[in-house]
Amino acid sequence: MARRFRTTRDGLVVSLAEAEIGLLRRLPDELRALLESGGGDGDPVMTRLFPRAYLDPTEEAAEAEWQDLVHSELLQERLAALDLVTTCLERATAKRNRYEVVLTEDEVHAWLGVLNDLRLALGTRLAITEDTDLGAFDPDDPAAPAAAIYGWLTWFQGEMVEILLG
Amino acid sequence: MNGPSSSTLPVEVEEPVDETIVATDRPWIVIVWNDPVNLMSYVVFVFQKLFGYSLEKATTLMRQVHEEGRAVVSHGTREKAEADVARLHAHGLWATMERDQ
Repeated sequence: MARRFRTTRDGLVVSLAEAEIGLLRRLPDELRALLESGGGDGDPVMTRLFPRAYLDPTEEAAEAEWQDLVHSELLQERLAALDLVTTCLERATAKRNRYEVVLTEDEVHAWLGVLNDLRLALGTRLAITEDTDLGAFDPDDPAAPAAAIYGWLTWFQGEMVEILLG
Repeated sequence: MNGPSSSTLPVEVEEPVDETIVATDRPWIVIVWNDPVNLMSYVVFVFQKLFGYSLEKATTLMRQVHEEGRAVVSHGTREKAEADVARLHAHGLWATMERDQ
């Protein structure tokens, strides 16, 4: 079996199966569309990605001021990371039945952030808790495909973090 | 905006030091809350990246978040806490700030 990640002089080589590169092309587009639309009123995914800084209701003015200051920057950062992942995948080269892409350190950090945002978005939609057993989803459950994708993203991100932590 | 206006500037008062000043001088703490999605290893990575903490300190804080539900990860002025919360949110961690009790 091909190794998923390889550290080389040029950067981190990521090897993806066809279905995996397909997911990594599609999911960022979906998240980008959600972020650009702003989501519906009180969309739980948007609330999770852009939480409050102050829990104290008497700090409402400070909260509003802080949101004014940082929200658009945080949004632009997320969109830029999504774009970067998409751009990286455009230069992936086919090797037998897999695809390889070499990532710089900055790109690895952007990928980690995007993988995390995708997991936060999917995890929120799936109402994941600490006790959720991903393997227990009924295959007929309409949420089963999303749960499988969430499981794959979790595994993939975990592998990538392990490499960074050395 | 319905809330009271926020001010980080100490009110100019002579002696004695009143409670307003004490409250204003109290530092702010940044809290990271447990959540079911973020990987423990990723949280350690983020603490090291954002705060320059050692692997040991970052791991201790992550465990505290995981086991106690929350951990104080940094403290300082209101401005510093606001900046830290923004960086933590940028990395997908659930962080809030409050005055140190």
